[in-house]
Amino acid sequence: MINEAFPLLSLTILLPLLGAIVIGVTRNVNFAKKIALLIAGLELIATLVVVWLFDAANGNNFQLVEQYAWIPSLNIEFLIGIDGISILFLPMSALLTLVAIIASWNSVQNLTRFHFALLLALEGGTMGVFIAMDLMLFFLFWELILPPIFFLIGLWGAGPQRRGAAMKYMLYMLFSGVLLLFAFVMLAVNHATQMGGSIPQSLSFSFPVLLNTAIPDNIQAIVFLLLIIGFAVKIPLVPFHTWLPTTAVEAPTQLTALLVGLKLGAFGILRFALPLTPNASVKYAWVLSIVGAITLIYAAMIALQQTNLRRLLAYASISHVGLVIIGIATLNIQGVQGAIFQLLNFSLIASCLMLIAGFIQHRIGSTEAVHLGGLARVMPRLTSFFFLFAAASIGMPGTSGFAAELLLIISAINTHPGLGVAALLGAILGAAYTLSFIRRAFFGPIVHAHLNQVQDLRSREFGLLCIPALLVLFWGFFPDLVLDINKMAAESWLNRLVH
Amino acid sequence: MDNLVALIPLFPLIAATVIGIGYLLGLLNGEASEKTTAAVASWAITLSCLLALILLGADLLGKNSGSWVLGQWLASGTLNIQINFITTGFSVKLAALFCMLLFIVIRFSVNYMHREVGFHRFFFILSLFAAAMMMLVLSNNAVGTFISWEIAGFSSYLLIAYAYDRPVAASNATRVFVANRIGDAGFLLGIGFSHAWIHSLDWSQINTLSAQLSLRQASAIAFCFAIAAFAKSAQIPFSPWLARAAEGPTPSSAGFYGAIMVHSGVYLMILLQPILERAPLIMILVAIVGLLTAVYGFFVGLTQTDVKSSLFLSTTSQLGLMFLECGLGFWQLASWHLCAHAIVRGYLVLTAPSLMHYIRDNPIKPFFSKIANLRWAYIASLQRLWMDQIADRILVKPVRRLARDLAYFDDHVVDRAMGIPIPAMHTVSSLAQLEKQKIDGKLKSQDDDFARGSGLIGNFAHRVAAALYWFEDRLVIRGIGKDMIDYGRRLGHATNKIEQLLLQPGYLALFVAIILLAAL
Repeated sequence: MINEAFPLLSLTILLPLLGAIVIGVTRNVNFAKKIALLIAGLELIATLVVVWLFDAANGNNFQLVEQYAWIPSLNIEFLIGIDGISILFLPMSALLTLVAIIASWNSVQNLTRFHFALLLALEGGTMGVFIAMDLMLFFLFWELILPPIFFLIGLWGAGPQRRGAAMKYMLYMLFSGVLLLFAFVMLAVNHATQMGGSIPQSLSFSFPVLLNTAIPDNIQAIVFLLLIIGFAVKIPLVPFHTWLPTTAVEAPTQLTALLVGLKLGAFGILRFALPLTPNASVKYAWVLSIVGAITLIYAAMIALQQTNLRRLLAYASISHVGLVIIGIATLNIQGVQGAIFQLLNFSLIASCLMLIAGFIQHRIGSTEAVHLGGLARVMPRLTSFFFLFAAASIGMPGTSGFAAELLLIISAINTHPGLGVAALLGAILGAAYTLSFIRRAFFGPIVHAHLNQVQDLRSREFGLLCIPALLVLFWGFFPDLVLDINKMAAESWLNRLVH
Repeated sequence: MDNLVALIPLFPLIAATVIGIGYLLGLLNGEASEKTTAAVASWAITLSCLLALILLGADLLGKNSGSWVLGQWLASGTLNIQINFITTGFSVKLAALFCMLLFIVIRFSVNYMHREVGFHRFFFILSLFAAAMMMLVLSNNAVGTFISWEIAGFSSYLLIAYAYDRPVAASNATRVFVANRIGDAGFLLGIGFSHAWIHSLDWSQINTLSAQLSLRQASAIAFCFAIAAFAKSAQIPFSPWLARAAEGPTPSSAGFYGAIMVHSGVYLMILLQPILERAPLIMILVAIVGLLTAVYGFFVGLTQTDVKSSLFLSTTSQLGLMFLECGLGFWQLASWHLCAHAIVRGYLVLTAPSLMHYIRDNPIKPFFSKIANLRWAYIASLQRLWMDQIADRILVKPVRRLARDLAYFDDHVVDRAMGIPIPAMHTVSSLAQLEKQKIDGKLKSQDDDFARGSGLIGNFAHRVAAALYWFEDRLVIRGIGKDMIDYGRRLGHATNKIEQLLLQPGYLALFVAIILLAAL
């Protein structure tokens, strides 16, 4: 399956990284912004071409594979490829980065060039995470996205404690990285042992090779635990979640939109944690689903108590990802397909809600409910978009949120009625916290006189929200378009685990 | 003639899309474009109306085959959801009736809403609602019905919050939607069970294949759908939301809570007649709930003094009677009752504002004398049997309290245990901590070398002493000494707090609920 033609996938990683360097050496700020926009646009086109070339009927195999030697002494390769699980994440992250760049077009006033360079670097790293097929390469990209995020939080954060938030984020992520590295090395060493070879020569970090390596059950259990905790920090699952609300309040909203939109941790569980340790996964899936249920209810309860929109959205995103984890852990086809679908939805729904919160923050200087009130009157367009995305996030039919949530809830009920009831409870609480915040912030009379002068969405902001909004509605009406692409991959994913 | 059916919900949906996009882009704005909006909405519903009548005629002539499939909406493994429609029987008759009522409501609103601020918004929501209602009565599978069920609920939310700058309207809308969401959860659970046990979501399949289910399974499915129906049709214990919903403009009240939407619960019961008949316990439950609601509506309605409340409470009791009829097995009667009530109530609610103008100077009719003399009954009736307060007490407040406790737990326990809480970095929060820091500083002071030797041996001895001191300081004193006391005290406080929390009845109930969930 090695692709001899044009190295398109490498391009999706290299293009943004090169763009970041070019922006670094240009002097003119406006020129740098335009380059960032151009690169992000080209990247979106490149990822769309990748989707075009992708053969969904053969989605259970890796496609467009590129393989080069990287560190031959340890058998680490530059091995990248896509399958039905990862394919759609590429255009979604490209779209999200493009939207984030447009959203922060005028709002970043100092170190502007550095800001856009970092956003592009982050995009390159994220692409790498989605397409890496070698565990060490994956780990490299996993850690490579940390420095841009660290600087983006610390330098352009909206809150007074941005430095502390950046440090907190970094410490959490390094902790998770250590666990992942440990698990990956264990897998590679196990491969060498199984092959009967010596340690440096017959190590293997290649994901397709490791999938076919026999792993003793006790090692599987340890690796499973390490991977789950490592990814749980990134997702985040309770009790490792506290970095996200802090970051949501302190970081710039365009970055928070990327963080809540691209759930790399959940993708990691789907891609690596479960398939690499099939026996342990089947044995301990119930633990994962209980953790998911706790996360779902716990975060929803706390969201009910929030007064700040950005904190509320952070907890809402934690709560929603709890349902995704339940879906993955149910180990049935509706759960897996629903989980992938919902993860794709996050990059539209959660991130656009966060961007709108950013627009409010930029205009009024706060997203606290007490400083808002009556926004619907002065900002009808912004309110309309907020309503649409909020409706999608509580799973309103007609939006893509409903189709995914329906699949997840049906899979949960199928596995255990108690799990289904928990999922439904989460849905009720979700409506309660979303709508009661809307009531406080958007409805009611205008309390603060200065809100009368607030500007509604500008045409640039209007345009950038239109594409995700249309996509949310389009997928809501035609969910099969998404499900067809990951169908084969989800089925073979499941067959590996449950025979 | 079957294939016309898909167009019936489609026309209002297109109207809603056109009005929505026009409003968002600023093309439809103000009084000048009122005519355009009104024309779009009216033409769409007129066309739907004609199609519904043609469909009804074809059905009466026996030209329809019973169902029609538009295509596949979603497929995942064994779950295969089609967009399909019922083209015969009660559904078609109800669609024609509702469509005509909707036409009247929309036509009425064109004049009634003239020069209102939210004119375009109103017609957008009303068209969306019309599409949802048509889909609700015509869909041949549970998911299609649920989709329109939800959209009808959401447009009801938007219309209750029509005058969104009134805080009462906004909070009532939220409350009504969340109360309805409980019923929606029941609906989804029913869908999940149907998929798990029947492997199909078509209403016809659910009804026929339910014969193979055990009594417990049939009862579970029937119970879930019954909960959904209770919530939508404002039966006890969900009744209070109907009175809150009166906030919306009159034509919308007529459409949603008088004539059309509230009946969807009864429609669902009639649709599910076969499976209900296999679950006698649920039939009894439906009858009891219906009876209680009828009595509730009658009793509370006695003391109402404004026209909208009286109409809504009378609607509540009529709906209760319909549920009672369903529960007793008089399905035919219930369906006639539904149709007749929809027409009468639609007329009453629409004419209520003019009625108020006609009778403006008339004296208020005195209360029913028997209830006026019974003080407790009078108060109970005025307070609407405290239904709202009871729901607050046993549901809303405990959830809020739990949420507050969890938020505290998250900030003070989880965040501290897991990471560095930002405000605590490099700061001291209490005097005791400051004191401790000072003492620590003194102990570690580098000037403290009064016994320092010189030379090789002296230096060596010094190093050893420093190492021993470090050992003593770090492990012995800190580990067992003062920190131990500190930790002990904190642990004591924490356990005290947990115990206090556990003694609250709410938490006890929560634990029981969790155990029940696990045992399910």
